[in-house]
Amino acid sequence: MIKNYLTLALKVLRRRPFYTFVSLFGISFTLMILMLITSMGDALFGANKPMTEVDRMVFLPQLQRYTEFFDTTYTVDTIVMDDGATRFDSTQRVEPNGNMNNSNGPMSYSFLDKNMRDFTDVDDYTFLSNNGFIDAYLDGRKVTLATYYVDANYWNVFDFNFLYGLPFGTDDVAGANKVVVLTERAATNYFGEVSAGVIGREMDLGDQKYRVVGIVQRPLKDDDNIAGDVFLPLTTIDPRQYGNQELQGPFQAVFLASSPGKRESVKKQLEFFATNFVMPPGSDFEHIRLYSGTAMDAFAARTMQTNDTGKAKLMVFIPLLTLLALFLALPLINLINLNVSRVFERKSEIAVRKAFGADSSDILSQFLFENLVLTIIGGVIGFVLAVLVIRYVNANDLIGTVRLAFSLKVLLYFIIVVLLFGMLSGILPAYRMSRTNIGTALR
Amino acid sequence: MIELTNVSKSYRTDTIETLALQRMNLSVPDGEFLSIMGPSGCGKSTLLNIMGLIDEPSEGSVVLAGQEVTRYNGSKVARFRNEQLGFIFQSFHLINDLSVVDNVELPLLYRRTSGKERRRLALAALERVGLSNRATHFPNQLSGGQKQRVAIARAIVGRPNIILADEPTGNLDSHMGDEIMDILTRLNTDLSTTIVMVTHDERMARKTHRLVRLSDGERVS
Repeated sequence: MIKNYLTLALKVLRRRPFYTFVSLFGISFTLMILMLITSMGDALFGANKPMTEVDRMVFLPQLQRYTEFFDTTYTVDTIVMDDGATRFDSTQRVEPNGNMNNSNGPMSYSFLDKNMRDFTDVDDYTFLSNNGFIDAYLDGRKVTLATYYVDANYWNVFDFNFLYGLPFGTDDVAGANKVVVLTERAATNYFGEVSAGVIGREMDLGDQKYRVVGIVQRPLKDDDNIAGDVFLPLTTIDPRQYGNQELQGPFQAVFLASSPGKRESVKKQLEFFATNFVMPPGSDFEHIRLYSGTAMDAFAARTMQTNDTGKAKLMVFIPLLTLLALFLALPLINLINLNVSRVFERKSEIAVRKAFGADSSDILSQFLFENLVLTIIGGVIGFVLAVLVIRYVNANDLIGTVRLAFSLKVLLYFIIVVLLFGMLSGILPAYRMSRTNIGTALR
Repeated sequence: MIELTNVSKSYRTDTIETLALQRMNLSVPDGEFLSIMGPSGCGKSTLLNIMGLIDEPSEGSVVLAGQEVTRYNGSKVARFRNEQLGFIFQSFHLINDLSVVDNVELPLLYRRTSGKERRRLALAALERVGLSNRATHFPNQLSGGQKQRVAIARAIVGRPNIILADEPTGNLDSHMGDEIMDILTRLNTDLSTTIVMVTHDERMARKTHRLVRLSDGERVS
């Protein structure tokens, strides 16, 4: 039966090359774009290394110091007493007048070290600084590298894929050892190779020599927390920054909540801490606020340039999803239309099948099957196209901060999308075909 | 056995009602070769469609092979057609994308017969109509007469009790028409299949056991 349907499906496709071409073009192109979107979505939001635990992460990138200004309003009442004398009574109300002085930015190591270590519902946490760029020199060549100063926990919170070597540990951080973990891209740029032979070699970073201890795979996206070329122990940062006793500095924190549901608890604790924080004497500001959030919060807030993460999420994702739905709907409607026009062409075939004993479900399944064959062929072409595009995009860093992921997960999504697309575009035409009236069709 | 009792059929549009069949009574015993004649629009095809469960009568009852089938529908009707009925059409209605033998196998496909068995039965049916050497050809490589023989093979492959033929020789020249009639006659005698044939051709009609004439939806003989 299946073989019979398959033979017929392929014959029909060959009989109408132009129709087939138009359908396949639409299908494969749509599916390719969908796969690219899926792949990009996966790179941005998926639980990929080194952020496999992204669902448990709470990011604390910034602290705000602020002072609110208040106005005092006096209200004066006059009362005429029984004796005819006038008395005065005044009340005063103090309200914020909407003016505020503030200063936003990442935090100092001392602030994090003193205050951010004792929260509940936190399995692990790390302090890091993505403090700009450093120039590295080799054989008279200069390579500019994005530099991250991180603690030893960093490698627990972010599960980088180590191609060679190992992360540095607590001893290296405590001893301010000059060791470095670099990405494969940095290794290629600096040493010209990615191999076990690079481990143990020295790099000139700024005016210091660092020994390579590990090479990691480059992450799929340039997230603020992971987008370094080289990772150094945070104790090796400029001592003025490390020892800085102000509130603000170049550091941020990432907490790993004990479960995704506990992220809210962590955020609440941070909020509570900020509300009750007593400013050191002589400070220019009176209060602090801590901007913490999940990865989604952070993405939406960054995209919409606002700190109201709830609103930002709606503003980012509703248009995105609508756009995606439209993008799926248009070729789908087109394909349904093409399929429906095929009904008339094959009316007599359907009528004959019914006359010889096919019931509606036989016809329905036959045409759904034919449509699935078409979609799957389109899917394979779309898949090949997508893989080529992904390679090209990644090789040339074409979409800035994101590289396109290609994983089994993406492939699985893709297969689901292909089947869904095939079913959706086939069900209506197949249903109409299955209701063909034999008498009129064979007249 | 085909038993039509008081069968009427009317087609209704918004404004008018057309009576295609009026209180038709017809009984076809097992093994009979019956022909139906009459001018265009007299209700021949309607009658055949009702016997083939392609159309439902507005009134009356239809009994086929001992079963009251008047109100059969859905998969029940599909099953009944598949097992009891074989159709032959004036314009053959072969599926051009399928080979001859695949066309013949069609009724067995909906009987969930195994592939091997389907092939065996289809080749046997083709043998019977003298076309076993054309099994792998495609319909558009065949002449009209050959196409109709394939259609006959398709109609008989499932060994139905009743074959309904709607002007099977209508698109063929008289020589090929005779060939087709010979095959149908042989089927009727060899397998004692009941055959009801609509025709315009007196000569063909004379080769059958009995002739029923229709005019304006009524039997005139």
